[in-house]
Amino acid sequence: MFKKLLLVAIVLALAIPLAVPATAQDDKPTIGFLPGVLDPFYQVMEIGVNAAAADFGVEVFLPQYPSTWGPSAQTPILEAMVARGDLDYIILAPVDKEQMIAPLQAAVDAGIKIITVDTFLGDGDYINGPVTFPISYIGSDNVEGGRIAGYALAERLGGKGKVYVQNTNVGVSTTEQRGQGFIEAISEFPDMELIGMDYNLDDASTSAAQTSAVIQREPELAGIFGVNVFSALGAGNAVKNAGLGGAIEVIAFDATKEAIENLNLGVVSMVIAQKPYDMGYLAVEFAFADWRGVTSLPRRVTTGYAVITAENVNDPEVARFIYQVP
Amino acid sequence: MTVDSRAEALPRRAVSRRVARQKQAILLVSRVWSWIFLAIMVVFFSIEGTGFFTVRNSQNILVAIVPVLLMGLGQTFVIIAAGIDLSVGWVMGLSSVVSALVIRDLADGGMAVGLAILIGFVAGVGSAALAGLLNGVIIAKLKVPPFIVTLGVSFIARGAAFLLSGGNVVGGQPQALRDLGNEALLYLQRGDETRLYFLKKPDVTGAQLRMLDRILPWPVVIAFVLVLIAMFILHRTQFGRHTYAIGGNKEATKRAGVPVDRLTILLYVMSAVTAGFAGVLYTARFSGGSSIAGDALMMSSIAAVIIGGVSMFGGEGRVSGTVLGALVIAVLQTGLIMMAVEPFWQYVIVGIIIILAVLMDQARDLIIGRAEAE
Repeated sequence: MFKKLLLVAIVLALAIPLAVPATAQDDKPTIGFLPGVLDPFYQVMEIGVNAAAADFGVEVFLPQYPSTWGPSAQTPILEAMVARGDLDYIILAPVDKEQMIAPLQAAVDAGIKIITVDTFLGDGDYINGPVTFPISYIGSDNVEGGRIAGYALAERLGGKGKVYVQNTNVGVSTTEQRGQGFIEAISEFPDMELIGMDYNLDDASTSAAQTSAVIQREPELAGIFGVNVFSALGAGNAVKNAGLGGAIEVIAFDATKEAIENLNLGVVSMVIAQKPYDMGYLAVEFAFADWRGVTSLPRRVTTGYAVITAENVNDPEVARFIYQVP
Repeated sequence: MTVDSRAEALPRRAVSRRVARQKQAILLVSRVWSWIFLAIMVVFFSIEGTGFFTVRNSQNILVAIVPVLLMGLGQTFVIIAAGIDLSVGWVMGLSSVVSALVIRDLADGGMAVGLAILIGFVAGVGSAALAGLLNGVIIAKLKVPPFIVTLGVSFIARGAAFLLSGGNVVGGQPQALRDLGNEALLYLQRGDETRLYFLKKPDVTGAQLRMLDRILPWPVVIAFVLVLIAMFILHRTQFGRHTYAIGGNKEATKRAGVPVDRLTILLYVMSAVTAGFAGVLYTARFSGGSSIAGDALMMSSIAAVIIGGVSMFGGEGRVSGTVLGALVIAVLQTGLIMMAVEPFWQYVIVGIIIILAVLMDQARDLIIGRAEAE
């Protein structure tokens, strides 16, 4: 009798863990979301993530936002997420395309599938590139974004004039790519000339000082591309205080509320908005589809841009791209 | 050899007079070399750089030095007293965020804009003073090295600024604040008839607007007033004399009955307060509070203090030196851009000047020391 009971107990003990995945298969996936840093861009992405989670009835877990941009802040949070043991997918914006490979490989080894949003691993090509384990890379094409800024500026300037770039730091892939795309676009116009690019360390005061100096050096300067919020803010401030508001076009990247305020004040003349909401929503949708056995998901999705100007900023169709956190 | 043998032949009093003269000459050179360097730079950039020697550029440079100068101003006192304050950058950010939040909320709540701005400024500078108080108390009372304490407080200030702002730029500021950050005491209208306007901005538009130079923008005026106050405190008051004394020999100062602990706390509060002013002026200039406002410029502010001849070993330095140091950095930055030089050279050159400044300092000590021993 005792032996029989023991046998039943053993069989049950073995069967329960076997049974769990079988029932989980019918269940919904558990998804983790890890942004790059606390800022409005990722906060809007989180809204997209939550919207998709509600639509698909899945649970999304966001432990915390990294306090600073860098692998040393993001990795511990990632490791804590892996250590939970209940996540099927992690949606994240890797803060470094090389340094985040190893920590994410460890997550993959623990049975978690990865989707990268906004930023990428390796060279972003998950089919032929050095890193192929993520399901997909959903994000803007920053070279394309720079090109859109370049074409938009060229159009406003009638395809001629001297232009200048305010960049943040050397070695940051996204802003470098925006600068590169901008330069590519400008070089297609024979009457346009790039007179330089300065680095402001993501500081508006420095950007303003540098731009003031360039305005003095180049009286014929017609347009400036600020690759992110602080770059454009400083450049726009310098232009406005030189009495050149309207005469020098300033194009800003990223549609934070601050950027839109500056658009309304005439400090910048155009804002290029990314679509973080789309990135977040699509990433959850992709995870869900993968869970349901969809195997033809694209490995790269570019989410595109919206161009916001003083003329269209009040149009709800455009205004919804402003990075607005309620 | 001949000099030495002649010196031996001279009477004792003549030798000491010669030494005193020598000492004075060396002191003079060590004090003015950076002014001479600045003058050479200005002349060089005026010849080589397009648009450098203009009224407008002089004002651009003055505006550019404000955050570096203000963060360096209190720091000058701290370093003279043989301390260091590494928290000024993030304290500036904290002050920027706090002032922006207070001004926005009060103005939105219907308070008169002027009063809201005033209260916001007090709150911003007050939050900075609180961080300075924390620095000072731990350094003075718990005897923790300032390097460690201010590093720790820097992180706390950073965290507080991010928590308060939620990582966002705090926008939604009233127009009056933007005017305070960007308008000026005087306006110079160039063109057919050059005219100077006091306080009132002439009503011009379009191309005329480009011929309008803002002379002494408000942030520059405020920074200038703070510099004068700092000069008075350091060079004319007992507090100033005690600051030098603490840097020269802390123990002896304490034995002489000077309340060193209390003074130390005050010094760090002062350092935080000037950084706090940098923060509120950032908020005014860019009409938004940013937690990272001071991060990029913190090291430049310490560089300015060192280039200005303040000894890192304490006991020596002047406020005018820090003004000069900030000017050297801003002139260099502006000048190199006007010459269209690759921007990264700026760092290399600033680095060389810092080391030169310290070498100059040491050489002086060495020569004076030897002269005294003679």
